[in-house]
Amino acid sequence: MHERLSFYIKRDSLLHRLNPLTKMTLVFSLVLIAFLSPYYWTPELILPLVILPLVILAKISKEYGLTTLRLILPTAGVLFIMQALFLPGESQVLFEIWRFDVTQASLESALTNATRIVVMVSSFTIFLLTTHPSEMMSDLTHRGIPPQFAYVVISALQILPQMQAKAQTIISAQRSRGLETEGSYLKRIGVLVPLVGPLVFGSLVEVEERAIAIEARGFTSPHPKTFLRQIPDTKFDRITRTVLIALIMITLGLKIWLSLN
Amino acid sequence: MALIELKNVTYKYPLTISPVLQNINLQVNEGEFVAVIGPNGAGKSTLCYTLAGFVPHFFKGELTGGVEVAGMESSKSHLHEWVLNVGLAFQNPFNQISGAKYTVFEELAFGLENIGIPREEMITRVNDAMKLTGISELADRSPYSLSGGQQQRVALTSILVMQPKVLVLDEPTSQMDPIGTREVFSVIRTMAERGMTVIMVEHKVEWIANFADRVLALYEGSVLLDGKPQEVLTSDLLLDKGFGVSRYTSVARQARKMGLWKNDSLPVTLEEAVQGFSLTPSLLRQAQDSASPKGRGE
Repeated sequence: MHERLSFYIKRDSLLHRLNPLTKMTLVFSLVLIAFLSPYYWTPELILPLVILPLVILAKISKEYGLTTLRLILPTAGVLFIMQALFLPGESQVLFEIWRFDVTQASLESALTNATRIVVMVSSFTIFLLTTHPSEMMSDLTHRGIPPQFAYVVISALQILPQMQAKAQTIISAQRSRGLETEGSYLKRIGVLVPLVGPLVFGSLVEVEERAIAIEARGFTSPHPKTFLRQIPDTKFDRITRTVLIALIMITLGLKIWLSLN
Repeated sequence: MALIELKNVTYKYPLTISPVLQNINLQVNEGEFVAVIGPNGAGKSTLCYTLAGFVPHFFKGELTGGVEVAGMESSKSHLHEWVLNVGLAFQNPFNQISGAKYTVFEELAFGLENIGIPREEMITRVNDAMKLTGISELADRSPYSLSGGQQQRVALTSILVMQPKVLVLDEPTSQMDPIGTREVFSVIRTMAERGMTVIMVEHKVEWIANFADRVLALYEGSVLLDGKPQEVLTSDLLLDKGFGVSRYTSVARQARKMGLWKNDSLPVTLEEAVQGFSLTPSLLRQAQDSASPKGRGE
């Protein structure tokens, strides 16, 4: 069975020690600045000057590298090709592929948009790799979000791998009684039909039992909750958050000011 | 006055015709360890849910009669108050894991966080409870990576840390090996001696005979027998109704028909059986004879 149920990589680094809210602010400010900045070169600069140093600082180069190869580059690559081919541009046609014109303008905006996506997915990846989910949720519950909401998020993260394992068990059970699960793609899709019933209804029954179990442990108690995990929120955290929010404001202001002129 | 008092409790699940519990009357004193036995569908789990307040607060349906624990009436209390008095652990350990925590330690602290226990006390309580149930070495494991028996211990411990007055357990050892079962029974025995009242649904009759103070036999939603383990577990009334009967009882019952069992009462455990049969010297001689080689006299 899986021991590892989240993306979190346990390391000791400045980034790991930051308060989850600070990290979240960092992620959102990077994304907002990359998307809102009126200058096309902003995302291109964020990538080598912010994202890469953060990855090295957090000591997650290997994991980040793997994610980049498997997820970020393919996504951004597809986006780049689509935009380069299909974005209408007034400017000079550089070359043609079949019946599509690739212009300088379409190439430029394709590059900017693809880089924005890379920045966005990278920021979230760094966040997920350095933040323990229950740390994040404890912190947010501490700050006043409803514990029910926190519970739904965390348990969904945990229960997905369990559902996967259960689906595998059901498939094995059905195969052992002669259900054919191999062969053409059409056949394999057909196999999913008898799987859905037991999986979905089984999960509904489980939900009832789990509701009883957490109720038995005082989940709906109106008493103010206490927390096992202590999550430090230092002066450095608070200053960082203020600076980041100021940067978002500056970018927003710049965009509005430039579009007015 | 008794700590738990059930008066004429009858309960019917929604959309069903016949009641699952019929006219249950039960009084349990503080610190008593009561085992509940019964065939499938006898209403054992429903009795547990009723004691733990989930009937009528979670399962709707029709409940009549009175359920009182520590002077509080269940239908007039909130479920979140009720669970502070009555802790419930049930059979399937997998569904009792909150799913919100990544280590066993955090999992055990979950209930304490919910009811607002200060952090220092939380840590002490979790450590003590883990020591008691022998799961200290699992503290940093993911609750999902444990075996069924280990998960059952975690589920039991997660209720023990909340220190309820009454502990309601629905087959808490169903996935455990004999060693685990023995440990859990002795933990529960210890808790009862410390003043916790325990109601435990269990099929393992020999263990019940060794550890429980009292046995309640449920049959088709009613109390069939209620009394000392030795008397209830060896009663002829349990025969042919799907109750679990100890093999020692069965052997002795058979032996009594053949005139080989001289005691008034039937045994439940191995010790009682050995002690009873040793009162029959002729039997001992017979056993020796039949064990010896046939052709000896020739």
